[in-house]
Amino acid sequence: MAEFSWLSRSPLEHALVVGAHGARDIEPGISLTEIRNFDLIQVMARRGKAAELANATKARFGMAAPDLPKAVSASDATLIWSGPDQFLVLSKGGKQTMDILSQAFSQSASLSDQSHARALISVSGTKARAMLAKLSSIDLHPMAFPIDAAAATSIDHTSVNLWRGNDRGDGQAVFNLLVFATFAESLWHTMLDAAAEYGVDIRLSEELG
Amino acid sequence: MRIVCPFCGERELGEFTYLGDAKPVRPAANASEDEVFDYVYLRDNVAGETSEHWYHAGGCRAWLKITRNTLTHEISSVEPAAGVGAAKVGA
Ligand SMILES: [Zn+2]
Repeated sequence: MAEFSWLSRSPLEHALVVGAHGARDIEPGISLTEIRNFDLIQVMARRGKAAELANATKARFGMAAPDLPKAVSASDATLIWSGPDQFLVLSKGGKQTMDILSQAFSQSASLSDQSHARALISVSGTKARAMLAKLSSIDLHPMAFPIDAAAATSIDHTSVNLWRGNDRGDGQAVFNLLVFATFAESLWHTMLDAAAEYGVDIRLSEELG
Repeated sequence: MRIVCPFCGERELGEFTYLGDAKPVRPAANASEDEVFDYVYLRDNVAGETSEHWYHAGGCRAWLKITRNTLTHEISSVEPAAGVGAAKVGA
């Protein structure tokens, strides 16, 4: 029998090659970073339990989950709106795992562990908005899509959760994308194609932005 | 065509899936065969305003009830379908 490994591996393991991609004679206009090893829990309020979930969320995170398309940062997690009465909890280091959150939300919500079901890609750089404009119909101008704005949308017919994180040190906007694991490689190649003309700096990270 | 999702805002048609006529109401369990046949198979072919179910599949995954004019494609109302936002109503 073939050896089988239960170790989780990134869906971009084969597609991602750290380094330069596309146009080389210019300063890279796009930075594409895959962030690995995160905890991601989908939280959905049960029927009639929205108020109870709101209380449990405040008790757990010290803040309310967004009820509009936004992402908000608690001390050790980001709460990302994903639809009416539901949100994603993104964290690192085992602080907000399924075991922990299922205790906190046992009375009010249904939970589903998405940690190994999504890939997390961060897009930034001077040409990030120009590149994403080829792929997404969301208006990402800072007036329409400020820091913490979020959207559940489709890119290249693939569902994604898109949100704007804090700006980079150099002031450039950062767009974060969660995509289903099995669609990640396809979306990755689509983004590389869209980004190639601007020059791409491909990286791996273990840190949430 | 664009649809203004009550949860997500204005989005392109490609993010939505059409389900069908929102008018038919499931008949009672003791309804006649004619009533059930009508509910399952018969649809009005309206030239004008219709009520339709759409699904925001490529977005928030909410079901929507949309009033659309089949002559002009003008959409005059978009609201959550029954059951959406159920967490906010009584158990
Ligand atoms: Zn929507």
